[in-house]
Amino acid sequence: MINPYLPLPVKVQKITIENETKDLKTFDLEFCDKNDAEWFKYTCGQFAELSLLGIGEVPIGIASSPMDNRILQFTVKRYPIGVVSSTLHNLSEGDTIGIRGPFGNGFPMKDFEGSNLAIIGGGFALTTLRSLTKYIIHEKNRSRFGEITIMVAARDPGEMLYKYDLEEWSKREDIKLIRTIDREVDGWTGKVGFAAPVLKEISPSSGNAYAIVCGPPIMIKTCIAVLLELGFKASQIFNSLEMRMKCGIGKCGRCNIGSKYVCKDGPVFSYTQLEKLPQEY
Amino acid sequence: MIEEKIIKKNRLNAMLQELSKEYSIYIPAGENGDFRFCELRDTNDELVFWDYRNTRISPKEILFPHSEILYEFSRDESHQFSISQNNDDQRKMKNVILGIRPCDARAIGFLDRVFIGEPNERFVDPYYLKRRIHTIIISLACNRPQISCFCTSLNGRPDGEEGADIIAFDIGEEILLKTVTEKGKEFIKESSKWLGNVKKSDIDKKNKIFKESAKRINSRVSVEKVKEKLDDSFEADFWNEIHRKCLGCGICTFLCSTCHCFDITDETSADRGKRIKCWDSCMYPLFTLHASGHNPRPNYKERMRQRIMHKFNYCPENFKELFCVGCGRCIRNCPVNLDIREVINQVSQLK
Ligand code: SF4
Ligand code: FES
Repeated sequence: MINPYLPLPVKVQKITIENETKDLKTFDLEFCDKNDAEWFKYTCGQFAELSLLGIGEVPIGIASSPMDNRILQFTVKRYPIGVVSSTLHNLSEGDTIGIRGPFGNGFPMKDFEGSNLAIIGGGFALTTLRSLTKYIIHEKNRSRFGEITIMVAARDPGEMLYKYDLEEWSKREDIKLIRTIDREVDGWTGKVGFAAPVLKEISPSSGNAYAIVCGPPIMIKTCIAVLLELGFKASQIFNSLEMRMKCGIGKCGRCNIGSKYVCKDGPVFSYTQLEKLPQEY
Repeated sequence: MIEEKIIKKNRLNAMLQELSKEYSIYIPAGENGDFRFCELRDTNDELVFWDYRNTRISPKEILFPHSEILYEFSRDESHQFSISQNNDDQRKMKNVILGIRPCDARAIGFLDRVFIGEPNERFVDPYYLKRRIHTIIISLACNRPQISCFCTSLNGRPDGEEGADIIAFDIGEEILLKTVTEKGKEFIKESSKWLGNVKKSDIDKKNKIFKESAKRINSRVSVEKVKEKLDDSFEADFWNEIHRKCLGCGICTFLCSTCHCFDITDETSADRGKRIKCWDSCMYPLFTLHASGHNPRPNYKERMRQRIMHKFNYCPENFKELFCVGCGRCIRNCPVNLDIREVINQVSQLK
């Protein structure tokens, strides 16, 4: 029997500072034991608990794609009161930490196949959307999906996550990438404006499509309103939620929204599901 | 086939003493009405808990301890951690819980649903499972229910069998043991040399006593509509009032025999430490506080709503079972007398 409370050891291969504020770092992790890597099969949208012995654990969405085996990536935001996230930020390359997972349901990839996708990410919530995007645009997978529109919103250019990926994606013919920042900045070539109005401007078609929205609550709310206006049905809109977690396996009873556990029944929910849940998140 | 056996009260200790070579045996122990499940001591004294009402702390603590070590870790000179799993092999592998009340036995069945789950469950709690599969539950039917007991409103009975492997009936000089599960039957078989056959008069005696005791439960609440009412009451004004006197102490959840929320925390000293699973409570503000500072349940109101919703709406949704067995612990021990029966009744009357 597997013990889901037991972390597997992983080595920090690389640490990338993602933004100018320096409170977002991406950790490249490699399993110390090859067998663990074999065992740890995940899908886009799942998360894992990063485990620091003596400090605690933090649930983080997996930012790497299931196609890049070997390396797992996690982007962690440091919060002043977050002991685990602060300690993670003080790690050096070569350090060993623990990981538990993969947990949660992930995106409904089978449903997404054959459809157009509008991927909408704001602030630092781009993590699992990056996993999703990287998976879809992989040469082995790309033909199974329709048109892809990616919209990334950030406060200013310096806060935009995964600039290296965005650069690469912007060069591809088979992706429509829109970047927007809140306020005009010299030299910025993308859009200017909040996520919702820009989304309205680009108006992705709702025909045979799914929209996946991740970001701060206010952005999710306003973007969903726009999507509904554009003709998306609630069942065509997906969200990934965050909650305080401990066990990650639906036992400790803390991450529920109504009768659903975010760690087990989520973190991905369709808007149809969300509409039925109480507004307590 | 159900089996019924009989044993003299004054012979029971001798039987348990012998069994204790193989089993850890837990019985209610205490005085002046304050009981708790403890391991049977090595003594010749006769067992005397037959008249005890119930323990203050629920016997869930035997399977789901207040705090338990998940694993220990240490750091060597090169700062590498190694993990060692605590295997509690100092303790005997097999347990018998004797004297647990039928409501609490039912509650263990509920905890099974949470920690073990369905046969195809993706994740099982291995710590709970390990104890649970090696535990035999011998419940003790209630001759004298308390005034705060309301099990009969929640599908329970003072002589209810659900959750038990064997149920014991105190019929005076003797204890009548009735098997409920295969596991119980096995146990009876193993202990057969201590047990006698029941006579018709024993059964009559038993039936008479327990017909009476069910009648003694006068406290009734109506739960039929609770789940349904709560479906539409998340935003009801009711929640603004019901929490007012609550102090947020969490006693109700700690003592509850079905509450199962826990925390995982680390305890460290220098270069070694333990990761611990310990009881937690939805009545505490830190329970849901995010690292960002956001808290989806910042006030007493939301936390009380969570407690009631979890028991009477979310669990029925997920497990098809109201997560309350009517043991009455929260009623007896709440410092401000917040009575869950009143809450249930008020919910039932919501428009
Ligand atoms: S025992 Fe009473 S005061 Fe304490 S948290 Fe429960 S309801 Fe509130
Ligand atoms: S994190 Fe424990 S139930 Fe979801």
